[in-house]
Amino acid sequence: MYGYSGRILHIDLTERKTWSEDKPEEWYKLYIGGVSMAARLLWENIEVGCDPLSPGNPICIAGGIFAGTPVPVGGKHGMASKSPLTGFIGDSLSGSWFSLALKRARWDGVVIHGQSDSWVNVFIDDDRVQFRDATKLLGLNTYETEEAIRDELGDDQVRSATIGPAGENLVLFANVTNDGRQAGRTGHGAVWGSKKLKALSIRGTHGVTVADPETLMKLSYDITQAAQGPHTAKYRIYGTATSVLKMDRMGLLPTRNFREGTFEHADLVSGEYMHEHNHVKTIACAQCPIACEQMCSVKDGPYAGAMTGIDYECLFANGPNCGISDIRTVIKLVDLCDRGGMDAMTNGVTVSWAMESFERGVFTKEDFKCKKYPEGFEPYFGNGEAAVTLTEMIRDREGIGDLLSKGTRLASRITDEERGTESYKWAMNIKGLENAGYDARALKTFALGLAVGTRGGCHNRSAAYDPDITGETDRFTVDETRGRVAGRSEEYAAVYDTLPLCKFIRRCFTGKADRAGAWPAIAKLINATTGWDFGYDEVDLIGVRAHTIKKAFNIREGWTRADDHLPYRWQHDPMTKGASAGYVVTDEELEYMKDLYYEYKGWTKEGLIPKSKLIELGMDDVAEEIGV
Amino acid sequence: MKVTVEFLGVAGLAAGTREVTLELPEGTTFRQIVRRLSERYPDLVGKVIAEDRETMFGSNILNRNGKTVIRDELLDTCPQDGDKLFIMAILAGG
Ligand code: SF4
Repeated sequence: MYGYSGRILHIDLTERKTWSEDKPEEWYKLYIGGVSMAARLLWENIEVGCDPLSPGNPICIAGGIFAGTPVPVGGKHGMASKSPLTGFIGDSLSGSWFSLALKRARWDGVVIHGQSDSWVNVFIDDDRVQFRDATKLLGLNTYETEEAIRDELGDDQVRSATIGPAGENLVLFANVTNDGRQAGRTGHGAVWGSKKLKALSIRGTHGVTVADPETLMKLSYDITQAAQGPHTAKYRIYGTATSVLKMDRMGLLPTRNFREGTFEHADLVSGEYMHEHNHVKTIACAQCPIACEQMCSVKDGPYAGAMTGIDYECLFANGPNCGISDIRTVIKLVDLCDRGGMDAMTNGVTVSWAMESFERGVFTKEDFKCKKYPEGFEPYFGNGEAAVTLTEMIRDREGIGDLLSKGTRLASRITDEERGTESYKWAMNIKGLENAGYDARALKTFALGLAVGTRGGCHNRSAAYDPDITGETDRFTVDETRGRVAGRSEEYAAVYDTLPLCKFIRRCFTGKADRAGAWPAIAKLINATTGWDFGYDEVDLIGVRAHTIKKAFNIREGWTRADDHLPYRWQHDPMTKGASAGYVVTDEELEYMKDLYYEYKGWTKEGLIPKSKLIELGMDDVAEEIGV
Repeated sequence: MKVTVEFLGVAGLAAGTREVTLELPEGTTFRQIVRRLSERYPDLVGKVIAEDRETMFGSNILNRNGKTVIRDELLDTCPQDGDKLFIMAILAGG
């Protein structure tokens, strides 16, 4: 088989044993790689209904079809486990050298089962697997852990995915870091921590064999050229942080826990401002000619020395959404999250929930006692030092940080039960995953995409804000097209997440980002890599199948139509300022759009998948289990 | 009438300015405004404004008052006095 090794590595941490599983080529044609293959491996290997932090929840990692080849932005891998935040599928993408090492070790995927009784660093050295004592690594941050492992093994080519203190402490939104990139959302770091897996290291020494190297080289060269042209200038120069002002002008920039969509200090936390005052350098994932990651540092003030890559999502969450207008504080907050190994998006949205809860009197200063401030502190919106302290407390699960380490859904439930309050009304999550940086009250198609999304409040799995923002749909109203638009959007995104290819390349095939512009080119890349005969339809089906396996997983874990919801605030509290003031998504609108969406997907009114639909997709065994 | 145009992100770099206020005769269409901008800021062409100098390039959009996207089919409609237009590239996913 070209492009793949045909092997999945299984590692049992309880028994400390490993085995190799051969998969047939037909299986690869269905699930390809990335999030789709990772989700499929999870489907096959999980104990159904298990606690996400129990040994029955495996860590599933799937490589990319293009990792280690010349195909630009193809150096990525997918990761899936049952999410401790949502109880449904937790699937993430990460990229860079770790993905390449996995491919070069000749494993298409890795499934990690069980639970170790002591902290361990698993080292995959081509075909050999070592279980190395990780006690010495405990307490090290994510970057330090990677460095320490390289030093210990005496090889700077060893690539590691690691957890930081947050993962060790089972913060439910802890993440997994490799090469400064993260499998960021849904709490993979907590799953790793529950297994006492501090790091997974890989040394791969093999080449990658493709079916038609000459064609692949030629195609890759042309795409690489285009990737350095005008279509990607926005990513290369400012990175995604440039979205701050755009969202602000449209009234969509979440501000003070999504109370408003415009921030009076937006200019001070904009990508443009940061570029001028804090930018250090631009870096890239391995195999990427675009380079969108803007490294920013704090040069003065109490947080001098903080430095990390800043993108829009972590910026909105820890800046405007916490009412913070000092970009140096935002960089410090994101740096704390990155080193501590926590999802900076969920962190910001959770801190902003705590701020609003404090301002509304649900919490008092007393609730914020900690080692640093024994008398407590007052986390009102805009109090940057309070946000920094809360982030440290979350990472260490100190004081109220223990409650906040559970994310907004659980934290609000526990608080409301204990105090008789209604803080769920401003807990900004969907299915337990905190929302991304687009206010969906006036992005109605996106609101649907988020509500039905398999992993919750995520902007990457549904790109339905794109038709709303570009005017393809009227973003303030709903109509009969929305089920189709939202469905097509998530299936489109799923193609990229499965190959995986970074979506920032999508205009570099022909200049047009739509299916007609990209799928024929992607089919050629797949065929030159594997020797298969994919065309437009086969590429399109990659996304449909990827989404279906994730949905099937959720159904098997107990999903019902009621789980496709929106936060209370988006349905009841209109914004009062800016271009999107005055809108909510009513129950009637949401339920109408859900009907349209399930109909487009060919599912039942309750959102279940007919057997025939699954069989059509070649997923007969899935049909047996959850088809209706 | 007066219309203000704000160039966001790379559009601002290409234009060499963040904002411009245009004095326009009544009845000026958006298409004419795009043409005028491409003449005044030629570096926008091929990066932000398409080579035809009338439509937007790639993922760039022309947005009126933060609410309405002036898509190609609306280019022959007119702004109102005091309108604020935004020129920006949309980023998505990652
Ligand atoms: S464009 Fe950015 S996120 Fe995408 S592969 Fe390149 S560096 Fe990574």
